Amino acid sequence: MGLKLGLVELNWSFVFQIVNTIILFFILKKLLFKPVSEFMEKRRAEIEGSINEAQAKNEEAEKYKAEYIKKLEASEEEGRQIVKEAAKRAEERANEIIKAAHKEAEEIKQRANLEIERERKKAINALKDDIASIAMLAASKVIEEGIDENKHNTLVRKFIDEVGEARWQN
Amino acid sequence: MNGGFGPYKVIELPGGIVISQTVTVTWFIMLLLTIFAYFASKKFDKVPNKFQNVVEVLVESIYNLTKQTMGEDKINFAPYMGTLLLFIGIANISGLFGLRPPTADVNTTLGLAIMTFVMVHYNAVKSNGIKSYLKGYLEPMPFLLPLNIIGELANPISLAFRLFGNIVGGVIIMVLLYNALGFISSSLGIGIPILQAGIPAVLHIYFDLFAGLLQSFIFTMLTMVFISMAMD
Repeated sequence: MGLKLGLVELNWSFVFQIVNTIILFFILKKLLFKPVSEFMEKRRAEIEGSINEAQAKNEEAEKYKAEYIKKLEASEEEGRQIVKEAAKRAEERANEIIKAAHKEAEEIKQRANLEIERERKKAINALKDDIASIAMLAASKVIEEGIDENKHNTLVRKFIDEVGEARWQN
Repeated sequence: MNGGFGPYKVIELPGGIVISQTVTVTWFIMLLLTIFAYFASKKFDKVPNKFQNVVEVLVESIYNLTKQTMGEDKINFAPYMGTLLLFIGIANISGLFGLRPPTADVNTTLGLAIMTFVMVHYNAVKSNGIKSYLKGYLEPMPFLLPLNIIGELANPISLAFRLFGNIVGGVIIMVLLYNALGFISSSLGIGIPILQAGIPAVLHIYFDLFAGLLQSFIFTMLTMVFISMAMD
Protein backbone atom coordinates (compact mmCIF):
# COMPACT_ATOMS: atom_id res chain seq x y z
CA MET A 1 0.00 0.00 0.00
CA GLY A 2 1.04 3.55 -0.63
CA LEU A 3 1.24 6.52 1.64
CA LYS A 4 -1.30 7.41 4.21
CA LEU A 5 -3.73 10.26 3.72
CA GLY A 6 -4.24 12.91 6.37
CA LEU A 7 -6.53 12.08 9.26
CA VAL A 8 -8.89 14.99 8.71
CA GLU A 9 -8.82 15.99 5.06
CA LEU A 10 -11.49 16.19 2.42
CA ASN A 11 -10.62 14.32 -0.76
CA TRP A 12 -12.16 12.19 -3.46
CA SER A 13 -13.36 9.70 -0.84
CA PHE A 14 -16.11 12.20 -0.04
CA VAL A 15 -17.64 11.79 -3.49
CA PHE A 16 -17.02 8.07 -3.55
CA GLN A 17 -18.70 7.56 -0.19
CA ILE A 18 -21.80 9.53 -1.17
CA VAL A 19 -22.12 7.51 -4.38
CA ASN A 20 -21.45 4.29 -2.48
CA THR A 21 -24.13 5.07 0.07
CA ILE A 22 -26.67 5.88 -2.63
CA ILE A 23 -25.83 2.66 -4.50
CA LEU A 24 -26.04 0.66 -1.27
CA PHE A 25 -29.38 2.28 -0.51
CA PHE A 26 -30.84 1.20 -3.85
CA ILE A 27 -29.41 -2.30 -3.57
CA LEU A 28 -30.76 -2.82 -0.05
CA LYS A 29 -34.10 -1.26 -0.89
CA LYS A 30 -34.57 -3.49 -3.91
CA LEU A 31 -33.15 -6.69 -2.47
CA LEU A 32 -33.97 -6.46 1.22
CA PHE A 33 -36.38 -3.86 2.52
CA LYS A 34 -38.98 -3.78 -0.21
CA PRO A 35 -39.46 -7.53 -0.76
CA VAL A 36 -39.29 -8.40 2.93
CA SER A 37 -41.69 -5.70 4.07
CA GLU A 38 -44.06 -6.43 1.21
CA PHE A 39 -43.93 -10.11 1.99
CA MET A 40 -44.66 -9.49 5.66
CA GLU A 41 -47.46 -7.11 4.83
CA LYS A 42 -48.97 -9.67 2.48
CA ARG A 43 -48.69 -12.40 5.05
CA ARG A 44 -50.23 -10.14 7.68
CA ALA A 45 -53.17 -9.43 5.38
CA GLU A 46 -53.49 -13.12 4.59
CA ILE A 47 -53.52 -14.12 8.25
CA GLU A 48 -56.02 -11.37 9.01
CA GLY A 49 -58.20 -12.61 6.16
CA SER A 50 -58.12 -16.20 7.30
CA ILE A 51 -58.89 -15.22 10.88
CA ASN A 52 -61.86 -13.18 9.69
CA GLU A 53 -62.98 -16.03 7.49
CA ALA A 54 -62.71 -18.49 10.36
CA GLN A 55 -64.73 -16.18 12.56
CA ALA A 56 -67.45 -15.84 9.94
CA LYS A 57 -67.54 -19.60 9.51
CA ASN A 58 -67.74 -20.08 13.25
CA GLU A 59 -70.69 -17.71 13.46
CA GLU A 60 -72.41 -19.48 10.60
CA ALA A 61 -71.83 -22.85 12.25
CA GLU A 62 -73.21 -21.51 15.50
CA LYS A 63 -76.32 -20.33 13.69
CA TYR A 64 -76.78 -23.69 11.99
CA LYS A 65 -76.27 -25.49 15.27
CA ALA A 66 -79.00 -23.47 16.98
CA GLU A 67 -81.27 -24.08 14.02
CA TYR A 68 -80.64 -27.81 14.07
CA ILE A 69 -81.17 -28.03 17.80
CA LYS A 70 -84.51 -26.29 17.37
CA LYS A 71 -85.46 -28.64 14.53
CA LEU A 72 -84.39 -31.64 16.54
CA GLU A 73 -86.48 -30.56 19.50
CA ALA A 74 -89.47 -30.00 17.26
CA SER A 75 -89.16 -33.42 15.69
CA GLU A 76 -88.73 -35.04 19.06
CA GLU A 77 -91.93 -33.36 20.21
CA GLU A 78 -93.64 -34.53 17.06
CA GLY A 79 -92.44 -38.07 17.62
CA ARG A 80 -93.74 -38.05 21.15
CA GLN A 81 -97.09 -36.79 19.89
CA ILE A 82 -97.26 -39.53 17.29
CA VAL A 83 -96.45 -42.23 19.80
CA LYS A 84 -99.05 -40.86 22.20
CA GLU A 85 -101.70 -40.80 19.53
CA ALA A 86 -100.84 -44.27 18.39
CA ALA A 87 -101.05 -45.55 21.94
CA LYS A 88 -104.40 -43.89 22.38
CA ARG A 89 -105.71 -45.33 19.15
CA ALA A 90 -104.42 -48.78 20.05
CA GLU A 91 -106.15 -48.64 23.40
CA GLU A 92 -109.39 -47.57 21.81
CA ARG A 93 -109.11 -50.36 19.30
CA ALA A 94 -108.38 -52.86 22.03
CA ASN A 95 -111.40 -51.69 23.97
CA GLU A 96 -113.52 -52.00 20.87
CA ILE A 97 -112.26 -55.50 20.20
CA ILE A 98 -112.91 -56.53 23.78
CA LYS A 99 -116.40 -55.06 23.64
CA ALA A 100 -117.11 -56.83 20.37
CA ALA A 101 -115.83 -60.08 21.82
CA HIS A 102 -118.05 -59.64 24.84
CA LYS A 103 -121.01 -58.99 22.63
CA GLU A 104 -120.28 -61.98 20.45
CA ALA A 105 -119.85 -64.17 23.47
CA GLU A 106 -123.18 -62.95 24.77
CA GLU A 107 -124.82 -63.76 21.48
CA ILE A 108 -123.25 -67.16 21.37
CA LYS A 109 -124.48 -67.81 24.90
CA GLN A 110 -127.97 -66.71 24.01
CA ARG A 111 -128.02 -68.84 20.92
CA ALA A 112 -126.76 -71.78 22.92
CA ASN A 113 -129.48 -71.24 25.45
CA LEU A 114 -132.09 -71.16 22.72
CA GLU A 115 -130.65 -74.31 21.25
CA ILE A 116 -130.73 -76.02 24.60
CA GLU A 117 -134.32 -74.96 25.09
CA ARG A 118 -135.26 -76.26 21.70
CA GLU A 119 -133.47 -79.54 22.26
CA ARG A 120 -135.14 -79.93 25.59
CA LYS A 121 -138.55 -79.34 24.06
CA LYS A 122 -137.77 -81.77 21.31
CA ALA A 123 -136.64 -84.35 23.86
CA ILE A 124 -139.79 -83.84 25.91
CA ASN A 125 -141.93 -84.26 22.86
CA ALA A 126 -140.10 -87.42 21.85
CA LEU A 127 -140.52 -88.82 25.36
CA LYS A 128 -144.20 -87.94 25.28
CA ASP A 129 -144.60 -89.81 22.04
CA ASP A 130 -142.73 -92.79 23.41
CA ILE A 131 -144.78 -92.87 26.55
CA ALA A 132 -147.96 -92.60 24.53
CA SER A 133 -147.09 -95.55 22.39
CA ILE A 134 -145.96 -97.55 25.42
CA ALA A 135 -149.14 -96.69 27.23
CA MET A 136 -151.20 -97.64 24.27
CA LEU A 137 -149.35 -100.89 23.96
CA ALA A 138 -149.95 -101.55 27.58
CA ALA A 139 -153.58 -100.60 27.36
CA SER A 140 -154.18 -102.74 24.32
CA LYS A 141 -152.62 -105.63 26.12
CA VAL A 142 -154.85 -104.97 29.06
CA ILE A 143 -158.13 -104.74 27.30
CA GLU A 144 -157.15 -107.38 24.82
CA GLU A 145 -159.16 -105.89 22.29
CA GLY A 146 -157.96 -103.55 19.63
CA ILE A 147 -159.78 -100.50 19.16
CA ASP A 148 -159.10 -98.29 16.37
CA GLU A 149 -155.52 -97.31 16.87
CA ASN A 150 -156.04 -93.73 15.78
CA LYS A 151 -158.84 -93.22 18.18
CA HIS A 152 -156.85 -94.82 20.83
CA ASN A 153 -153.90 -92.62 20.14
CA THR A 154 -155.84 -89.42 20.53
CA LEU A 155 -157.40 -90.77 23.66
CA VAL A 156 -154.10 -91.48 25.29
CA ARG A 157 -152.56 -88.21 24.19
CA LYS A 158 -155.43 -86.33 25.64
CA PHE A 159 -154.99 -88.14 28.87
CA ILE A 160 -151.31 -87.49 29.01
CA ASP A 161 -151.79 -83.84 28.11
CA GLU A 162 -154.24 -83.41 30.89
CA VAL A 163 -152.34 -85.31 33.50
CA GLY A 164 -148.69 -85.04 32.60
CA GLU A 165 -148.33 -81.44 31.59
CA ALA A 166 -147.45 -80.37 35.04
CA ARG A 167 -145.43 -83.41 35.90
CA TRP A 168 -143.30 -83.50 32.76
CA GLN A 169 -142.47 -79.98 33.02
CA ASN A 170 -139.19 -79.35 34.73
CA MET B 1 3.99 4.51 11.63
CA ASN B 2 3.73 6.10 8.29
CA GLY B 3 2.31 9.62 8.44
CA GLY B 4 -0.18 9.58 11.25
CA PHE B 5 -3.51 7.82 11.69
CA GLY B 6 -5.15 8.51 8.31
CA PRO B 7 -6.30 5.87 5.83
CA TYR B 8 -3.87 4.40 3.30
CA LYS B 9 -3.97 5.37 -0.34
CA VAL B 10 -4.80 2.17 -2.20
CA ILE B 11 -4.45 3.39 -5.75
CA GLU B 12 -4.20 6.75 -7.45
CA LEU B 13 -6.15 6.97 -10.70
CA PRO B 14 -5.06 9.39 -13.44
CA GLY B 15 -6.34 12.87 -12.73
CA GLY B 16 -5.38 12.72 -9.09
CA ILE B 17 -8.38 10.66 -8.03
CA VAL B 18 -7.21 8.73 -4.98
CA ILE B 19 -8.99 5.59 -3.93
CA SER B 20 -8.33 5.18 -0.24
CA GLN B 21 -8.68 2.33 2.20
CA THR B 22 -11.95 3.89 3.28
CA VAL B 23 -13.48 3.34 -0.13
CA THR B 24 -12.21 -0.20 -0.58
CA VAL B 25 -13.45 -1.26 2.84
CA THR B 26 -16.78 0.36 1.99
CA TRP B 27 -16.93 -1.66 -1.22
CA PHE B 28 -16.24 -4.80 0.78
CA ILE B 29 -19.05 -3.94 3.23
CA MET B 30 -21.38 -3.19 0.30
CA LEU B 31 -20.55 -6.57 -1.18
CA LEU B 32 -21.27 -8.31 2.13
CA LEU B 33 -24.57 -6.49 2.56
CA THR B 34 -25.58 -7.22 -1.03
CA ILE B 35 -24.88 -10.93 -0.58
CA PHE B 36 -26.78 -10.88 2.71
CA ALA B 37 -29.73 -9.08 1.14
CA TYR B 38 -29.72 -11.43 -1.84
CA PHE B 39 -29.87 -14.54 0.31
CA ALA B 40 -32.19 -12.92 2.84
CA SER B 41 -35.02 -12.37 0.36
CA LYS B 42 -34.20 -15.17 -2.09
CA LYS B 43 -36.43 -17.92 -0.81
CA PHE B 44 -39.06 -16.51 1.43
CA ASP B 45 -41.49 -19.02 2.78
CA LYS B 46 -44.84 -18.60 4.48
CA VAL B 47 -43.56 -20.67 7.36
CA PRO B 48 -40.27 -18.93 8.16
CA ASN B 49 -37.06 -20.79 8.93
CA LYS B 50 -34.46 -19.49 11.36
CA PHE B 51 -32.57 -17.27 8.94
CA GLN B 52 -35.81 -15.81 7.62
CA ASN B 53 -36.91 -15.08 11.17
CA VAL B 54 -33.72 -13.10 11.78
CA VAL B 55 -34.23 -11.14 8.55
CA GLU B 56 -37.87 -10.47 9.40
CA VAL B 57 -37.03 -9.25 12.89
CA LEU B 58 -34.31 -6.98 11.45
CA VAL B 59 -36.52 -5.44 8.79
CA GLU B 60 -39.53 -5.20 11.07
CA SER B 61 -37.60 -3.50 13.86
CA ILE B 62 -36.19 -0.95 11.41
CA TYR B 63 -39.69 -0.24 10.12
CA ASN B 64 -41.05 -0.01 13.67
CA LEU B 65 -38.24 2.31 14.73
CA THR B 66 -38.97 4.57 11.78
CA LYS B 67 -42.67 4.48 12.52
CA GLN B 68 -42.17 5.36 16.17
CA THR B 69 -39.63 8.10 15.56
CA MET B 70 -40.97 9.71 12.41
CA GLY B 71 -44.62 8.75 12.42
CA GLU B 72 -46.78 6.46 10.32
CA ASP B 73 -46.87 8.83 7.34
CA LYS B 74 -43.07 8.87 6.92
CA ILE B 75 -42.65 5.10 6.79
CA ASN B 76 -41.19 5.46 3.27
CA PHE B 77 -37.95 6.65 4.86
CA ALA B 78 -37.48 3.25 6.49
CA PRO B 79 -35.32 1.73 3.70
CA TYR B 80 -32.90 4.67 3.81
CA MET B 81 -32.73 4.59 7.61
CA GLY B 82 -32.19 0.83 7.49
CA THR B 83 -29.39 1.34 4.98
CA LEU B 84 -27.77 3.93 7.25
CA LEU B 85 -28.10 1.72 10.31
CA LEU B 86 -26.73 -1.40 8.61
CA PHE B 87 -23.91 0.40 6.79
CA ILE B 88 -22.69 2.51 9.72
CA GLY B 89 -23.16 -0.38 12.13
CA ILE B 90 -21.10 -2.82 10.07
CA ALA B 91 -18.56 -0.11 9.23
CA ASN B 92 -18.09 0.63 12.91
CA ILE B 93 -17.59 -2.98 13.97
CA SER B 94 -15.32 -3.73 10.99
CA GLY B 95 -12.42 -2.77 13.30
CA LEU B 96 -13.04 -6.11 15.03
CA PHE B 97 -11.96 -7.86 11.82
CA GLY B 98 -8.79 -5.85 11.43
CA LEU B 99 -10.20 -3.47 8.85
CA ARG B 100 -9.97 0.28 9.15
CA PRO B 101 -13.56 1.44 9.74
CA PRO B 102 -14.75 3.63 6.84
CA THR B 103 -16.47 5.78 9.46
CA ALA B 104 -13.05 6.65 10.87
CA ASP B 105 -12.67 8.89 7.81
CA VAL B 106 -14.24 12.31 7.85
CA ASN B 107 -15.07 11.97 4.15
CA THR B 108 -17.51 9.15 4.90
CA THR B 109 -19.17 10.76 7.88
CA LEU B 110 -19.40 14.15 6.27
CA GLY B 111 -20.80 12.53 3.11
CA LEU B 112 -23.50 10.83 5.14
CA ALA B 113 -24.19 14.02 7.10
CA ILE B 114 -24.48 16.06 3.91
CA MET B 115 -26.96 13.53 2.55
CA THR B 116 -29.00 13.93 5.74
CA PHE B 117 -28.72 17.71 5.40
CA VAL B 118 -29.95 17.61 1.78
CA MET B 119 -32.81 15.30 2.71
CA VAL B 120 -33.82 17.51 5.64
CA HIS B 121 -34.06 20.67 3.53
CA TYR B 122 -35.50 18.98 0.45
CA ASN B 123 -38.27 17.38 2.49
CA ALA B 124 -38.89 20.56 4.47
CA VAL B 125 -39.49 22.49 1.25
CA LYS B 126 -41.49 19.66 -0.25
CA SER B 127 -43.89 19.24 2.66
CA ASN B 128 -44.24 22.86 3.85
CA GLY B 129 -43.75 24.85 0.66
CA ILE B 130 -40.85 27.19 -0.07
CA LYS B 131 -42.58 30.17 1.52
CA SER B 132 -43.13 28.80 4.98
CA TYR B 133 -39.73 27.08 4.79
CA LEU B 134 -37.97 30.40 4.27
CA LYS B 135 -40.18 32.06 6.85
CA GLY B 136 -39.00 29.49 9.35
CA TYR B 137 -35.58 31.17 9.33
CA LEU B 138 -37.13 34.40 10.63
CA GLU B 139 -38.65 32.76 13.64
CA PRO B 140 -39.07 33.57 16.42
CA MET B 141 -37.56 37.01 15.57
CA PRO B 142 -36.28 38.22 12.21
CA PHE B 143 -32.92 39.32 13.58
CA LEU B 144 -32.18 35.70 14.55
CA LEU B 145 -31.76 34.83 10.85
CA PRO B 146 -27.93 34.50 11.01
CA LEU B 147 -28.19 32.29 14.09
CA ASN B 148 -30.77 30.09 12.41
CA ILE B 149 -28.56 29.66 9.37
CA ILE B 150 -25.55 28.81 11.52
CA GLY B 151 -27.67 26.39 13.48
CA GLU B 152 -28.76 24.63 10.32
CA LEU B 153 -25.20 24.42 9.05
CA ALA B 154 -23.97 23.20 12.41
CA ASN B 155 -26.24 20.15 12.27
CA PRO B 156 -24.41 18.20 9.53
CA ILE B 157 -21.01 19.19 10.93
CA SER B 158 -21.86 18.01 14.43
CA LEU B 159 -23.45 14.90 12.99
CA ALA B 160 -20.36 14.11 10.92
CA PHE B 161 -17.78 14.84 13.61
CA ARG B 162 -19.66 13.05 16.37
CA LEU B 163 -19.48 9.80 14.45
CA PHE B 164 -15.99 10.45 13.07
CA GLY B 165 -14.59 11.45 16.45
CA ASN B 166 -15.99 8.46 18.28
CA ILE B 167 -14.72 5.95 15.78
CA VAL B 168 -11.37 7.54 15.01
CA GLY B 169 -10.77 7.99 18.72
CA GLY B 170 -11.29 4.27 19.21
CA VAL B 171 -8.99 3.48 16.28
CA ILE B 172 -6.22 5.71 17.63
CA ILE B 173 -6.49 4.35 21.15
CA MET B 174 -6.37 0.79 19.83
CA VAL B 175 -3.27 1.55 17.73
CA LEU B 176 -1.60 3.18 20.72
CA LEU B 177 -2.53 0.29 22.97
CA TYR B 178 -1.18 -2.32 20.51
CA ASN B 179 2.04 -0.38 20.16
CA ALA B 180 2.38 0.03 23.91
CA LEU B 181 1.71 -3.64 24.56
CA GLY B 182 4.21 -4.60 21.88
CA PHE B 183 6.75 -2.25 23.43
CA ILE B 184 6.17 -3.66 26.93
CA SER B 185 6.46 -7.19 25.62
CA SER B 186 9.79 -6.50 23.95
CA SER B 187 11.15 -4.63 27.02
CA LEU B 188 10.35 -7.72 29.09
CA GLY B 189 12.53 -9.61 26.65
CA ILE B 190 9.75 -11.65 24.98
CA GLY B 191 10.24 -12.01 21.23
CA ILE B 192 6.54 -12.45 20.53
CA PRO B 193 4.33 -9.50 21.63
CA ILE B 194 2.40 -11.81 23.90
CA LEU B 195 0.66 -9.02 25.79
CA GLN B 196 -1.20 -8.04 22.63
CA ALA B 197 -3.35 -11.18 23.06
CA GLY B 198 -6.31 -10.91 25.34
CA ILE B 199 -5.84 -7.50 26.90
CA PRO B 200 -7.12 -5.43 23.93
CA ALA B 201 -10.26 -7.55 23.67
CA VAL B 202 -11.99 -5.59 26.43
CA LEU B 203 -11.30 -2.28 24.72
CA HIS B 204 -12.34 -3.75 21.35
CA ILE B 205 -15.67 -4.68 22.88
CA TYR B 206 -16.08 -1.16 24.18
CA PHE B 207 -14.82 0.92 21.23
CA ASP B 208 -15.86 -1.26 18.30
CA LEU B 209 -18.92 -3.09 19.50
CA PHE B 210 -20.51 -0.83 22.11
CA ALA B 211 -19.53 2.65 20.93
CA GLY B 212 -19.75 1.57 17.29
CA LEU B 213 -23.29 0.22 17.47
CA LEU B 214 -24.36 3.08 19.72
CA GLN B 215 -23.00 5.69 17.32
CA SER B 216 -24.67 4.05 14.31
CA PHE B 217 -27.92 4.12 16.21
CA ILE B 218 -27.42 7.75 17.25
CA PHE B 219 -26.60 8.86 13.70
CA THR B 220 -29.69 7.13 12.32
CA MET B 221 -31.97 8.41 15.08
CA LEU B 222 -30.74 11.99 14.62
CA THR B 223 -31.26 11.75 10.88
CA MET B 224 -34.82 10.56 11.47
CA VAL B 225 -35.52 13.26 14.04
CA PHE B 226 -34.08 16.05 11.87
CA ILE B 227 -36.08 15.00 8.82
CA SER B 228 -39.36 14.52 10.65
CA MET B 229 -38.91 17.80 12.57
CA ALA B 230 -38.25 19.64 9.34
CA MET B 231 -41.36 18.12 7.74
CA ASP B 232 -43.80 18.88 10.55
